[in-house]
Amino acid sequence: MAMRVDFFLVMAALLFSIGCVGVLIRRNVIVMLMSIELMLNAVNLTFVAFSHESRSMTGHVFSLFVITVAACEAAVGLAIVLALFRRRRTTDVDDVSLLRW
Amino acid sequence: MHLLTGLVIVVMAVALLRAIVPAQPTLTMLGGSIAALVLLVAYRHDLLGTEFWAGAIGFVAILSALLVVLHPNPMVSVLFLILNLLCVALFYIMLQAHLMAVLQVIVYAGAIMVLFVFVIMLLNLRAEEGLRLGSGAERWLAMGLGGVFAALLFWALRHRGGQAWAGPGRYIEGFGTARDMGALLFGEYLFVTEAASVLLIAAMVGAVLLAKRRLE
Repeated sequence: MAMRVDFFLVMAALLFSIGCVGVLIRRNVIVMLMSIELMLNAVNLTFVAFSHESRSMTGHVFSLFVITVAACEAAVGLAIVLALFRRRRTTDVDDVSLLRW
Repeated sequence: MHLLTGLVIVVMAVALLRAIVPAQPTLTMLGGSIAALVLLVAYRHDLLGTEFWAGAIGFVAILSALLVVLHPNPMVSVLFLILNLLCVALFYIMLQAHLMAVLQVIVYAGAIMVLFVFVIMLLNLRAEEGLRLGSGAERWLAMGLGGVFAALLFWALRHRGGQAWAGPGRYIEGFGTARDMGALLFGEYLFVTEAASVLLIAAMVGAVLLAKRRLE
């Protein structure tokens, strides 16, 4: 049985869906951020798989930039969580509804 | 492939038995280990195939991703996320993206995850009392949407007609090495690299400002 690049794409699709459901169903901000990391990671895997298939390294460069953006997002997101926890003593998104309807 | 299917079934059976009969953990583990050993001996030639290892890594990756989402304790979630990132790094190695695999382990599993662990320890977060997964309708809607999304992705992937996966050692010289990556980063994508550095500085300043105790 010959293995195809599709295996990695299917893996990435599964990981992305799990991360997506995680963002939607969890109410803890930190776990939601972690689910976002899962999704970004799945996208990286897709980039690298397509890069392997097309024999071009552009996908690697793009996934490096995705890692950069993920690092920025984690730093700013966790700083917001820290500031939030200092004021409200909670990390639950349902308790923070000032900007919602 | 028989070996992988068998091992997955054994792991599932052990988990199920431990959930049903929590009083006999050693017996269950012993039975599971014996079954796994018998399978390993019976199908030992599968151990040399790439398919088995790819499938095993994929199984661990999916399982750890599920535990990240479903575990009530954020600390355990972070540890499983690290496991998931390491599995994806192994995938990168299989795809000849060696530099990306190293960066995944050093930058992602190392630096970014340490940030998460640090914040969780700083906030002293405990496990949530009972796993709160949103209210009823919201949760089922989210699960349904996730399922629809996965189905759409699979539908898009069917009959895609891509090229076969090239095994290790049968590939273009220099693919995925630091030298080729650097040539791309500082040649064709120089502007984007500089923009990424500006983004990093902006994020750093933003994080410092946000985490300051009192904003004037």
